[in-house]
Amino acid sequence: MRPGALHAVAAAIAFAAAAACGPSSGTAPAAINLVTPPGGGAAYIEVTGAPDSMRRASPEDLARALRVSVDADAPPVLGTYSVAGRSLRFTPLYPFDPGRRYRVVFTHDALPAPLDATVGLPAQHTTPSTVVARVYPSGDVVPENLLRMYIEFSGPMGRPSGIAHMKLVDEDGREIEGAFLPLDYEFWSPDHTRFTAFLDPGRVKRGILPNQKMGRALTPGHAVTLAISREWRDEHGLPLKADFTRVLRVGPADTQPIDPAAWRIEPPPPGGRGGLVVRFPEALDRGLLMRALGVRREHAAVDGEVVIGGGETQWTFTPQAPWRAGAYQLIALDILEDVAGNQIGRAFEVDNFDTVDKSPNPTSIVMPFTIPAAPAAPTR
Amino acid sequence: MTSFRVTLGVFIAFNALVSLTPSSALQTVQAGQGPALASIGPMTFGPDGTLFAADNQGAAIYALDLGAQADGGAAGAKSLDGVDEKLAALLGTGAKEIAVTDLAVHPRTHNAYVSVMRGQGAGAQPALFRVDGAGKISHVSLQTVKFQRVELPNPPAANATARQNPRTQVITDMAFADGRLWVAGLSNEEFASKLRAIPYPFVTVDRGVSVEIYHGNHRAVETRSPVNAFVPYTLNNQPHLIAGYTCTPLVKFPIGDLKGGDKVRGTTIAEFGAGNRVLDMILYSKDGQEFLLTANNSRGVMKVPTKSFANATPITAPVESETAGVPFQKIASMTGIEQLDKLDAANSIVVARTAAGSLNLQVVPLP
Repeated sequence: MRPGALHAVAAAIAFAAAAACGPSSGTAPAAINLVTPPGGGAAYIEVTGAPDSMRRASPEDLARALRVSVDADAPPVLGTYSVAGRSLRFTPLYPFDPGRRYRVVFTHDALPAPLDATVGLPAQHTTPSTVVARVYPSGDVVPENLLRMYIEFSGPMGRPSGIAHMKLVDEDGREIEGAFLPLDYEFWSPDHTRFTAFLDPGRVKRGILPNQKMGRALTPGHAVTLAISREWRDEHGLPLKADFTRVLRVGPADTQPIDPAAWRIEPPPPGGRGGLVVRFPEALDRGLLMRALGVRREHAAVDGEVVIGGGETQWTFTPQAPWRAGAYQLIALDILEDVAGNQIGRAFEVDNFDTVDKSPNPTSIVMPFTIPAAPAAPTR
Repeated sequence: MTSFRVTLGVFIAFNALVSLTPSSALQTVQAGQGPALASIGPMTFGPDGTLFAADNQGAAIYALDLGAQADGGAAGAKSLDGVDEKLAALLGTGAKEIAVTDLAVHPRTHNAYVSVMRGQGAGAQPALFRVDGAGKISHVSLQTVKFQRVELPNPPAANATARQNPRTQVITDMAFADGRLWVAGLSNEEFASKLRAIPYPFVTVDRGVSVEIYHGNHRAVETRSPVNAFVPYTLNNQPHLIAGYTCTPLVKFPIGDLKGGDKVRGTTIAEFGAGNRVLDMILYSKDGQEFLLTANNSRGVMKVPTKSFANATPITAPVESETAGVPFQKIASMTGIEQLDKLDAANSIVVARTAAGSLNLQVVPLP
């Protein structure tokens, strides 16, 4: 029994008696099979019952004898050839695509006619199932000068940029042209479940040409709808399960730098692993919040997990080890931004061309906080 | 639970160097044979034929010694219609399943090298092909290629959770100049313009300089607009880079004595218009003049004489017109360009998308 799944026994033919093939070729049947090895290795194509002479053939001869292609007119697929016994095997350099059909032709002098088959692995994914899971900022109101959005999907997406599938629509149902920055880079997270879209900073920033011509993409006091087309393809090439829309209300522009003095730090009680909560008066960028804030004690990083909540206005840090009474520090890297791109001490829109900062990046700010000592046990 | 408001004013210590960030870890350099790239592109050749290939997914840059695989073909490169279908067929897939990520020309053989990603999603795989002067496509097997690999620095991070953070870096362009590999990149989180210069051969612990390029455009700081493409160019006997930024200022800045952490003031010398980004740029000479040729994603191909670059009037005020600065000429005959490189003294080579949606590799005389 063959040691793997046979997806196709697509062609079989008996060799004609031919001296050139040696006595063993005789009338043995030849067949083209697409084989998936047990354990899930890469599928390969195998010609069984091949003439003995194949064992002495050069790689070039083998490639001429067994031709695998995506269609009849296409060049042969890249791969390697090997002979074991009377089996000739072709292993593609890149795994065969599920759902794609491959043309296989085996030609040999001992055959009355070339052996010709069309084989393929079964399609694995045929029903759209991926959806837009979340969009950040997650709050209902965004500033007029919103700089970026994160689109999170329920599963991995394809490689191309998704800008072509995203649009902003005004209250009259008209698309706001040129709202997103024309960066067709693959701004994906490593697992391809989060895409970053930047709004055109030229439109956000006052006083430069696109802004003067078109104004800002968002208008304070009005609503705007983010519309994501289901035509955006997932990693299987399938469309999304459904179109996605989300209505955002537009608030005034945020042109002020982040001011950590306005943050509220809520230390947990000692001895446990309660969350350290930091509340911000405005929504900060979710992606940067995840890594630009940290906790330190005695010059050493405190390990823990971060959870963002409250429409990105709340950062909660749960340490791996229980808190100890005493001094800690909250660290904020200066890469941290709010949703309008304002950084700590530096607004997005600022004319500091004449005051180029020579300090190295990144810098941080340090905010001490104290875990109070546990109250003394009552004395009898 | 105690809850109180901390008065931070007296506690904030500005500009303390962060000791927590993994980015301060030593640079890792590997060398060996058979590099395991997770992705490929963009690419650029060094003058000795070393192929530098960015691996955005692996957050690394490879220097590849193509060895004998660089030899043996007919010199030059030949146009190939439907190059996406041809490359996809070799890879056992369809044209929609591949992305041509860059095009680079070997400095000695003038063969064209095309980098491809096969497949979708995080599992897509890289491939490299050579197209010679007879139009023959050869797959470049990386198994036998000797390489050096330098890791890109880790992103700044202040907590352990950040180690699994979804930030990635996209290298937008690379060029070799002044004994260093220049790398422009941006991330899917910070909106920043960072340029890194890495000495080659790659050296352990030296990850080169990282500079931030300011250009005084529109009287508003543009430091955080990304560099999309750039070329090395000598102005007044000083090495410079000419860089195309998003939406679409052209900026010059000197690179001769850059040191790590420098923030450099660049000079905006042209505005190529809104809603646009530069895809590629090359330099060439024709009829005794030098030109910059830029391919743009929405504004076609532009031919820019470089003679005025050295003394161009800096653009420092809001631009009232659609474009401004050094003059340029639109090359209407070149359309759909997605990749551009200089093939030889008389020709460019491009990957161009047709109206029907397929990709052609085309040799185009320099305009």
